[in-house]
Parts: sequence; structure tokens; C-alpha cells
Amino acid sequence: MSGSALDGYTVSVSALPARPTPVTPTLAETARGHGPFGSLAMRGVEGRVVGVTDAQSMLGVRVPDRSRAILVVTVDGELAVAVRDAVSRGMAVVRDARSDDAGAIAASCLPWPWMIVGGSVSLPPALAPVLRNRPVLTYWLGSPPLGLPGHARVFDRPATLLDAVRRACDATVGGMRLAPGNGVELENGTLLRGAALESLVSAYPAGFALPARTFRSATDALTQHNIGWETRRDGDQSTRLARSTVVAAR
Amino acid sequence: MRANPEVLILEDDAETLEDLQGHFTRKRFHPLGARSASRALSLLEHNRYSSRPVLAIIDWDLGKAPDRSASSGDVLSRLARELRECPVIVYSQNIDAFNVRSQIQRSHPRALLHDKRDGDASLLERIDRMLDRTVGDLRIHDGTVVVHLPTLAQHHHREAIRLVVHHPDIVTFHSDTATKAVRRFGEWLHTRGSAVRLVSHGNRKYRLSVTASEDAAPGIDS
Repeated sequence: MSGSALDGYTVSVSALPARPTPVTPTLAETARGHGPFGSLAMRGVEGRVVGVTDAQSMLGVRVPDRSRAILVVTVDGELAVAVRDAVSRGMAVVRDARSDDAGAIAASCLPWPWMIVGGSVSLPPALAPVLRNRPVLTYWLGSPPLGLPGHARVFDRPATLLDAVRRACDATVGGMRLAPGNGVELENGTLLRGAALESLVSAYPAGFALPARTFRSATDALTQHNIGWETRRDGDQSTRLARSTVVAAR
Repeated sequence: MRANPEVLILEDDAETLEDLQGHFTRKRFHPLGARSASRALSLLEHNRYSSRPVLAIIDWDLGKAPDRSASSGDVLSRLARELRECPVIVYSQNIDAFNVRSQIQRSHPRALLHDKRDGDASLLERIDRMLDRTVGDLRIHDGTVVVHLPTLAQHHHREAIRLVVHHPDIVTFHSDTATKAVRRFGEWLHTRGSAVRLVSHGNRKYRLSVTASEDAAPGIDS
């Protein structure tokens, strides 16, 4: 759906088909392995997370959520506390992870974590697939571990990393900026939903060396709204935002 | 219909709990008070279908609790799992310690933190800022009504209050009734020409947005 709403109560525009909201009717149901938390409650059925979690005592940090998420993986949580202080309320939820639960927490960031921040730990193997296949902003403090994607940024000092986190949250490209919670807001207030577009806005002028299909929804949203920007594939197979070369009729 | 919104209070000190409950009662909220985490969990369980608290006040340190079979972390995790749209304030004497803050954040990533060493008055002041807050040209009055300040028009519905209390966060509404109430609130804002508008994020998720010129209105809690 696009364009102004007819009933006057919203101007929201969805760039993507709506996805169902995770709802857990009861914890008892979850514990039996039903509902959207089933992956956290069931043993390793094909396509589900392997492992057993007691839903009755599941930490809040593992609750599935579609809000923009910053996953911070450290040994003791100190960096996560600092990142939380750096991020404006409502802009993103900071998820404080350890190496042993980073994979499960990443899986609960829907559709995927907007940003992964790490330091003083090796890269948890469970994070490799999401870093390899999704446009996740990746910031690392200290020596980078093996397995970080090519677009990862490495920082020597916490202060510079925190500045970069703030800049990513406040990024503005061609009138596009991150909306609170999720999505990208245009200058006229239109809301475009799509995690890939959020990543492209925050990474600008850099991009992500990922297959073009990863950015199909972002490309479609930009084309549909004709705001003078497009996704562009560089010679190094990196996709980033760029001003449209074709001036479309408005 | 007017229903006083509930506030969950977990505080192990009986005197402080009484003070907090009295404060909320005077403000026409319905306090759900508990001196132990297990009692708070029980209150959440029994109120699951009848209401959803608009605010939770949680004491992190429960050394004086009569029953220690559950912790404040258990209550926070439960709130994060089942009442994600309920704002939570956690207060502790050790709120500066990063390991305490990390434990709180892992239990409830959205919890707001407050330093207990600032005293009860500081906590009450912060709560009042949240509950009597101003967003754009709207103000909550007495915890039960949203007032459009230019016209003094009133909107009575707890879901409208929830949206204002939560600003700028997204709120998920869990029933058709609640969603319809939110849409009516959106129409109410539109017909009054409010500087605040309702934004839908789909899937029963909504937030309020304030036009730039009104964004810096006083009273917005951080």
C-alpha cells in the first residue's frame, strides 16, 4: 500500500508486505513448543534453533522483536552499557549478549540485527551466517577476530566506536533518515519499512558486498517513491545508495 | 467508559511501597503493589486478561522481601516477554555498576534506570514527568485523560495514554478493541488539527510523531 491514507489517521506507507507480529498467548503454550517462541522452546527440529531454553525463565533480551536492534557481544556487558547510553531512546534496542547466547539473541532480532558491536571476544560461529548473508553494520573494538565481513569497521578506542554508533543512528541521506523503532522516514513523513534500506542509509557512503537480491526490497521502495536515490552496484560488487542517474518524471 | 490504568510496583520496603501506592492512588491510577518478586509475578498472571499496566516500577535489590523464591530479574524478564509495551523503571542503589546495569538490560532491554540514592522524591518526580507528560500539544492529566492543549478537548482511553507515555517508542496493541481505540484516537488528533499524528508501523504497531516545530516541547522525558 502506498500514498496517503483515506481515513485520515495515518500516513504510514509500507514498502513491504506486512509480516505477522510475534504474539505469545501464554508461556505455557510456548513451553510446549508452540507459537513464535517455539524455536526457543523446542529441541532441534529441522529449521529451528538447536537447543533447549526454558521459556518460563527466558531472559527478556531473547524475546523476538521487530524493533531495530544493536547486538553487542562482549565478555562482561560493559560495552553494551556504554552503547545503550549512546543511543537515543526509541531509536534502537540494545541487546547485551555473551558469546554463548549471541546466536540465539541474533535470531530473535527480526528480521536480523541492524548492527553488531563486539569486542574482546572471538566471533561466535552462530553469527557467521547473518554476517555473511545480511547487510548488518558491524563495528568492532580492538583486534578484529577472524570471520568479520569486509564492510566491518574496527576501532581502537571505545569513544570513537560510540561516535560511529551515534552517527549511524542519526544518518541522513537525501532526506531519508531512520525512523524511531524501525523503518526509514522520508522528508514528507512517509515511512518506508525495510531493514536493508535502513542499513544502506546508515552505512552511506559505504555499502555492502552482498548479492544484489539482498537489496531488492530497498531498490523497489526507492523506485516506487521516486525520491532521486537508488541502489547502485560498484565494481567491487558492493551495493550502496547513490543519486539516481535517471531523472524520473514526478 | 473510564478505567483507571494500573501501575505495577515491586518494592520490598513496606513503608516505601505504601508511599508509592498512595502517590499513584492520588493520581487516580490503580496501583498493583508487591513486596516480593513472586507476588509481582502472581499479580501479572492474574491481571493478564483484564488489564495491562501502563507502567512498572521495579526495585532491583529485594533484600527485605518476605519471599525470595523469585528475583526482580524474573519480573523484568516476564515484563519483557509479555508486556513489552509497558514502560519499566528499575531503581537500585548500585545503578552505576555496569554489571548491575548489564543484568538489568539482559532481563529487560528497554528498562529505564533510576538511581535510588537520589531518594524517593526523585523517583516520584521522574514518574510524574512520565505520566503527566506533554508531547507536542498533548498533555496527560490525572493519568486518565489526554488533553489537546489548544482546544482543551479531552480523550479518555487508556490506549491513548499508553501511546503518549511511550512517545517516541512504538507500542504494540494486542486486541482488535485496543487497535480500534487507537485509530479513534488518531482520528481525534486529526480532526483537532493536533501537531501530533499517529503513525502505523503495521501489525498493530503504532507510535506518535510530533511535527518538528513542536518536538522541543517541554516535559518530554528522556
